[in-house]
Amino acid sequence: MSAPHWLGAAEAARAFAARTLSPEELLRALLARIEQLDPEVNVFVRLDAEAALAAAREAGREIAAGRVRGPLHGVPVGIKDIIDVAGLPTTCHSAVLADAPPAGADAAVVARLRQAGAVIIGKLSTHEFAIGGPSFDLPFPPARNPWNRGHHPGGSSSGSGAGLAAGLFPLALGTDTAGSVRNPASACGIVGLKPTYGLVSRRGVFPLAFTLDHVGPMARHVADAALLLDAIAGHDPADPGSRPAPGRYFGSQLRLGARGLRIGFVRHFHETDTPATAETAAALEEAARLLAAEGAEVRAVTLPPLAAFAAVNRVIMHAEAWSVHAPWLRTRPEKYGRLGRQRLLTGAFIPAGAYIDAQRQRLQLIDAVDAALRDHDVLLCASSMDPACRIDEPDMIERTYPRQARLPFNVTGHPALAMMAGLSSDGLPLSVQFVGRCFEDATVLRAAAAFERAGGWQARHPPLG
Amino acid sequence: MDDALLAALAHAAGLTGALAAFPADVRAAALAGSGFAAGLAPQPDPAAEPWPPMRPREGA
Repeated sequence: MSAPHWLGAAEAARAFAARTLSPEELLRALLARIEQLDPEVNVFVRLDAEAALAAAREAGREIAAGRVRGPLHGVPVGIKDIIDVAGLPTTCHSAVLADAPPAGADAAVVARLRQAGAVIIGKLSTHEFAIGGPSFDLPFPPARNPWNRGHHPGGSSSGSGAGLAAGLFPLALGTDTAGSVRNPASACGIVGLKPTYGLVSRRGVFPLAFTLDHVGPMARHVADAALLLDAIAGHDPADPGSRPAPGRYFGSQLRLGARGLRIGFVRHFHETDTPATAETAAALEEAARLLAAEGAEVRAVTLPPLAAFAAVNRVIMHAEAWSVHAPWLRTRPEKYGRLGRQRLLTGAFIPAGAYIDAQRQRLQLIDAVDAALRDHDVLLCASSMDPACRIDEPDMIERTYPRQARLPFNVTGHPALAMMAGLSSDGLPLSVQFVGRCFEDATVLRAAAAFERAGGWQARHPPLG
Repeated sequence: MDDALLAALAHAAGLTGALAAFPADVRAAALAGSGFAAGLAPQPDPAAEPWPPMRPREGA
């Protein structure tokens, strides 16, 4: 058995069933590791150790009595701090909400996790209100990349990505409006899935941009991401963006492998639209080669240029975010950090007509991606064009943050997963992204699982204590 | 963007206080916002619908 802190959710469930480990023993091992490492990586905004220990003990009693609720029973999960957990404040990593009262109810996704028997371990770092970048003028320090603490961990679900890579918990929830689950997955070398828009409820999640926001599972292994999606997916009439979707068991295709999969390789994203580093491009080519060797049919496919998606995403995201934050920005702008304030003010200067035009162009972009997916089961493309840069170089962060191919699928709503695909010469994770048809998230997970087995990168961990 | 235009836009958005306290941030946001709006490609079809569409409701 792996060291407890490197156990995945599925491995932990097997150990609980075999009575070789209890939920409380696992949690205590993680709490000891958090005490040792969190001062270096700043993953937690609030650790809820006592409540987590009580939940772990209860899970242990239920499992011992044969009342197993499912594969997440007794498994610790970290929650990004824009998602409500009853009894804890949702600060959004901001002084604006630093004195917020405790949430009165769980977000829908947290309620589903509790029903599944998961143990909520605490609230995790994010960029302020899930926008901006790593900032040093907020009430909590920014999370750092476990592969090199001088580098940023991606964001905005920074604590979720960093905590998984550091072995502080086996599962986490993030949110994704322009790539915020998949960016830390790419930077930290873990797995992050933005599910199909409408598959996972956003009730009880502080909004960034209503028509782009998604809640997504993050894990160190593809199978664990599928288990977490099983737990949180489902129709919620209280979320106007939620819709009934067929089926669960998102891991049902994980063992099918790549044979017979038709994969469209979107090379122009990283070759001409936003040229990637040579190492990133090589990792993408190697992923295509490995999947072809496993029996997939890999063909080049063309989508609209990244700039077209980016233009639409920026206008929609900033206009919608402004409508959320305008009252606070008008009355207490000093409560925001500099980066968050700048980003959230931007929408004040976008005309209403531009917002409507962006929403009209969105439909054409959705059609283009749908068309590509009529002839392909999944698409393979870049996630980040660069490994994570240093956290203390704002100019480099400003330059590299937009160099990504994640936001197209927030615009279109297609499911998209980012995962590790190698290490740079500096020892930082490289990444790839898989994209599928709407509500065919299981096929995206199948492709990712095939690549995980062929590439072997998910077994690598950062050099920590 | 000249100071008078920036002040007029900020005032119209209710951001007079923010402009006074954080002029550099408001200016950066104004430049970004106007740039993002200008960066949209022209819409070739005047009848193209936006997404998401208005959701029809059930009859009473």
